[in-house]
Amino acid sequence: MTDRASFLAAIRSAPRGLDPGLPDRRDAPDAPTQLRVGEDRAARLQAEAEAASTVVHRVTASDVAATVARVLVEANSQRIALTTDLAPFVDDVQATLAVAGLTGAIYAEVAPNRAHAGALDATVTGCIAAVAASGSIVTSAAGAGRAGALIAPTHICVVRDEQIVGGLHELFDGDVLAEAGSLFALQSGPSRSADIEKVLILGVHGPGNVHLIIVAPD
Amino acid sequence: MSATREDVGGTPLPPGWAKPAHQPDAFELTTTTFEERAAKTMARPFARGAIANATDHAAALTTARFVGTDHDALREEARKIRAHAIANLPDYLDHWIDQAERKGTVVHYASDESEARRIVAQICTDQQITRVVKSKSMASEEVSLNSALEAVGVDIYETDLGEFVVQAMGDRPGHVIAPILHRTKDEVHELFSAMAGHELPNEAEALTAFAREGLRHAFLTADAGISGGNFLIAETGDVLLVTNEGNGRLTTSLPPIHIALVGIEKVLPRRRDLAVLLPLLTGHGTGQQITTYVSVAAGPRRQGEPDGPEQMHVVLLDAGRSALLGGEFEEALHCIRCGACQNVCPVYRQVGGHAYGWVYGGPIGAVLTPLFRGQEEAGELAHATTLCGACDDVCPVKIPLHDLLLGLRRRSDADGHVPRHEQLAFALWAQVWSRPLLYRASTAVARGSLRTLARDGVVSAKTPLLRRWTAGRDLVVGRRAR
Ligand code: SF4
Repeated sequence: MTDRASFLAAIRSAPRGLDPGLPDRRDAPDAPTQLRVGEDRAARLQAEAEAASTVVHRVTASDVAATVARVLVEANSQRIALTTDLAPFVDDVQATLAVAGLTGAIYAEVAPNRAHAGALDATVTGCIAAVAASGSIVTSAAGAGRAGALIAPTHICVVRDEQIVGGLHELFDGDVLAEAGSLFALQSGPSRSADIEKVLILGVHGPGNVHLIIVAPD
Repeated sequence: MSATREDVGGTPLPPGWAKPAHQPDAFELTTTTFEERAAKTMARPFARGAIANATDHAAALTTARFVGTDHDALREEARKIRAHAIANLPDYLDHWIDQAERKGTVVHYASDESEARRIVAQICTDQQITRVVKSKSMASEEVSLNSALEAVGVDIYETDLGEFVVQAMGDRPGHVIAPILHRTKDEVHELFSAMAGHELPNEAEALTAFAREGLRHAFLTADAGISGGNFLIAETGDVLLVTNEGNGRLTTSLPPIHIALVGIEKVLPRRRDLAVLLPLLTGHGTGQQITTYVSVAAGPRRQGEPDGPEQMHVVLLDAGRSALLGGEFEEALHCIRCGACQNVCPVYRQVGGHAYGWVYGGPIGAVLTPLFRGQEEAGELAHATTLCGACDDVCPVKIPLHDLLLGLRRRSDADGHVPRHEQLAFALWAQVWSRPLLYRASTAVARGSLRTLARDGVVSAKTPLLRRWTAGRDLVVGRRAR
């Protein structure tokens, strides 16, 4: 078996090609995934998320729990799990669900049994950031878990206004990813495939019903 | 806390799912010629129409996506990042390995295809892995991983919808992004109905739901998930995976073991380079703003995380890559597998992916296949192009595919195969020209790129390879802008 030393030695022994140098990102040109000058972050996030078939709700902090409950009742979800990054809304959401006759289990308690996790109807998560210009939410293994945001047919994500970054550059240059754990992930709308004759189908392996709740600043 | 094999182990899959169909082992590269393979696709009118429609659509979406941005500057930035990463490949790989191991990833080294097969098969036997879910990986196609694993008693489930159809049909992917571009809904309907043991509704939605259900079961019971990797981030030891269906993330989240097989050229220096590469990969691949799921993993599940694998293995694959470093064809290693060059290639649009005989189709396939498989097996592919240059114009990392193809032609011409190949290229070109609609589409694509070969605004008949194509038809194009 080839080991690290001999594997790298073979690569090192090859001649080196032209190196244009690593571009300095501060001068990086515009990408579609960057915020335009003067653009409102929450508005752009809403527009991009909706373009990717996410249902967007813009609410105040006191309306989060009620919005979550309404979406879950409409989706007729029974088996519901919440991830811990939903804090500070976890207690509030659980109480409101109880009023509607629903129970929100904690995902970390469901996940060890794959069969149970796979049978969930809905998950409600927070995130570590949202990227306005790409319409993405960013989740972490430490928070929403690796699969918390896509294991069930319905996913609701709650993002606070101050968590929204403008574009991908801001995300990767910032420090929110440092605490993400073993994985971080960008999700931008429902799971989709157009493999069969280019017909767009939502909800292939991940959720087909995706809601984003944007919480206005206090 | 993490998922263990005991949870649902031994749970049978639905009937018809127990034994996935066998994928053909041998590629056709050695047994047939390009012409013979092309003829197969061209004999299926649906396939030809579908390929042309889909590729038109993708190209239009890409153009729309970058309106109002400095697209060319972004591509130039991406080109520099890729060129820098490849020029310093051993250093960045070394750094990536340090970071990955620090985070608990077990790194393996495969010098060639057979070593890659051996390593993954060994992991499977050592850990009694009998059921594997797999997310689309071109590297694993390169090394024919599936048949090697089947040989050691592993059942494999391709989980990308298109790849799943390909696997169950015993077919090969026809496009790097859209594997069943060349298949009809009726064919999928027939296949899935046979698997289900009853007639399913002949609608994309119902067919997708059928696949989802069975594959969900596979996800929940698999002993391991095998994926490729779109990028390796040297700075942080990450493996990045993009999918639209979400199967990539489930593959790396639910089974207790994750194995990624990744070509060494996938290295990027820093996470921030993704801000440049990701919008280009998706914009040129599918025309989306960003792929629906971008997953960036470094190591197995950590303490306190609610889910995730107990082990993460990465198999680094060389298999002909290091041999290209510093040479005439090094830029082929810059490729990010977006598929855009296939979409605009007048030859690919006529003959589809299978004609290229191996894993990669279109211009990048015509370049990589002879380089990886050898001149003897695949030298003729360098002639399966019209040299219109449309691929150069569309490549997000500005690989000079046109020059690379010319270089490969020179190599192949030295072997004395010119006349037959020239006939082949001419035959393909004639196909395009013989039908007005296709002609218009292909010239729309070629305009601006034939410029490369044009002198004084008219494609000259002096280039020997163009002699027959231009006979009787002067193609007037704009003066070269460069
Ligand atoms: S050669 Fe360029 S256009 Fe073709 S698949 Fe690779 S990156 Fe995309």
